[in-house]
Amino acid sequence: MRVLLVEDDETIAEFVARGLREAGFAVDSAADGEAGLAAALSQPYDVAVLDVMLPKRDGLSLIDELRRRGIATPVLILSARRSVDDRVRGLQAGGDDYLTKPFAFAELLARVQALVRRATRAPEPTTLTVDDLVLDLLSRRVTRGDVSIDLRPREFALLEYLMRNPGRVVSKTMILSHVWEYSFDPQTNIVDVLVSRLREKIDRRFEKKLLHTVRGVGYVLRG
Amino acid sequence: MSSEDRPTEDGSPYGGRESIVESDTRLAETAHDSRPLSFGLRLAVWYSTLFVAGSIAIVFLTYFLTAESLAQRDRQIIQAKLGEYGAAYQRGGFGALAETVRAEQRAAPERLFVRVVDRGAEAIVLSQPEGWDPAALQTGSLRLGDGTLVQVGKSTEAREDLLARFRAVLGVVTLSIVVIALSGGLLVTRSALQPIRRLTDAVRRIIRTGRTDSRVPLTGGPGDDDAISELTTLFNAMLDKIEGLVTAMRGALDNVSHDLRTPLTRLRASAEMALAASPDVDRYREALADCVEESDRVLVMLNTLMDISEAESGTMELRREPVRLGDIVARAVDLYRDVAEARNVALAASVLEDVVVTADRPRLEQVAANLIDNAVKYTPPGGRVDVDVRRAGDRAILSVRDSGAGIPAAELPRIWDRLFRGDASRTERGLGLGLSLVKAVVEAHGGTVDVVSELGRGSTFTITLPV
Repeated sequence: MRVLLVEDDETIAEFVARGLREAGFAVDSAADGEAGLAAALSQPYDVAVLDVMLPKRDGLSLIDELRRRGIATPVLILSARRSVDDRVRGLQAGGDDYLTKPFAFAELLARVQALVRRATRAPEPTTLTVDDLVLDLLSRRVTRGDVSIDLRPREFALLEYLMRNPGRVVSKTMILSHVWEYSFDPQTNIVDVLVSRLREKIDRRFEKKLLHTVRGVGYVLRG
Repeated sequence: MSSEDRPTEDGSPYGGRESIVESDTRLAETAHDSRPLSFGLRLAVWYSTLFVAGSIAIVFLTYFLTAESLAQRDRQIIQAKLGEYGAAYQRGGFGALAETVRAEQRAAPERLFVRVVDRGAEAIVLSQPEGWDPAALQTGSLRLGDGTLVQVGKSTEAREDLLARFRAVLGVVTLSIVVIALSGGLLVTRSALQPIRRLTDAVRRIIRTGRTDSRVPLTGGPGDDDAISELTTLFNAMLDKIEGLVTAMRGALDNVSHDLRTPLTRLRASAEMALAASPDVDRYREALADCVEESDRVLVMLNTLMDISEAESGTMELRREPVRLGDIVARAVDLYRDVAEARNVALAASVLEDVVVTADRPRLEQVAANLIDNAVKYTPPGGRVDVDVRRAGDRAILSVRDSGAGIPAAELPRIWDRLFRGDASRTERGLGLGLSLVKAVVEAHGGTVDVVSELGRGSTFTITLPV
């Protein structure tokens, strides 16, 4: 999987590029809009990560130019504006996505992977498996080893989300928006409570722990 | 992207703003020099031109009518004389005519020019007052039965004298009319433009000083209706709004800079302590996790503060749509179910009558969530939190009742304040912004917030929204 990263801030570019490489992507970087366009035209990328504010050519006009030339590479736009403008929001209709700065890398990675998945249209699995934990999406049953685990709907939704992202850290914000479809940050740590309930059911009675907390970042389900 | 690269675009609002103010000032000054004065002058000139033109027309008319009627009178005199002389001629021929003329000349002070021309074209002057200019004569003639022509001339000198004096008088009158009209016009327009000039001065003063708290005084009694008082009132109302915005922005900025210092100091302290201590991976990991959590808190606080000030200043973008209040409550209760259960607090919603309100859904969800968050947080284990939705007339009512410790009366008015945290809440996690956001968002929707509390018995938070 090749990713084109167009970002003029060196620190952010390095942070994102290193993270994506560690996640198994091949990353090409460009520091301005024109260089980004040249790179995108020279070879096919599976996904592009673009800053909105770029020297020489801004991110949105870069997307326009790519689409005009028939290049349909899915794009993740990075915006520093808190109130995302309608043009950027409109990207979602076209299958692209956006993320506001500052962001957690885990979230950027999840979104990049979602874009790749959507573009490659991987067949939908019917069961998810991490180690000896199995989640059946059709019968909505969860088992670990021989033990059947009874989950409430929210717990099931959380486990499904974690199992769809095995070995990947997901942030509280991501969980909140996937499990409850809320986009704001409640003051009480609702996610903590749900995670500890889930942990109680899938981990407590077992020797090997699967659900781990990465302090300051989020949670990860690792086999 | 980095803000250092493009400070003028998004980095330094101050430089940009100052230059805008400067150019505005220049604009206002040049506008002042050319526009309001010349407008007044133009008005005065127009007014006096019309006035003077009217007056001059009347003067000319008077003059010509007078001159005409004087000439008419002379013509009548000449005709009368001609008739008289004709009769005398008929009676006694040329001799009688000459006698009549002579007799008249002896008697009458006004001399006439009389000439008789017979058929042989021989002119006989019967009367020729001395020093008369034959050119300045008004004449008339009568041809008698035998072909003799009698001519009578009357000097126009006296008439011209009279008219000349009349002209002089009229000239003086016209001149005074022009002067009066011009000065009157200037005076009238000046006084009429006075309120506009006051308004202009006030605007210029405000632009120059940046003080949005000055107001344009409303002058005039009750009879002083008019467009200008209305303009002044509207202008003041606009200043009120601007001042409100500026104050809110300034307040928000003060709050942000003040309240970000604390978490940033903690963040810095964590990093510094880790760097100063002996190298240890676990310690580093702890410190880094602290830093990430602290910066997340900064971000949440920043966003919430921005939301509050946007809602308070009326600049929050509300995507209003019909929303069932019952759905909002059901979702919020669902969000807090596990938390309430973990704290052994009974959380229940009862929708007596579902109400559809026109509101921004995510914002309203946040309002409901914050109220429930608050209630669950301050209710001791074994207590309960009840959320009600009902309708009262044209208001939708959402109330959250808890069986918590209640809020001391002294703290009640301050709970909606930004970053206010009551004594009881110090131990709880939170920013002290939840209720401020509730109030700001509800009021931005045209609703109200209220709280009733009894120490030891619990509190009830009620929000109403227009249906």
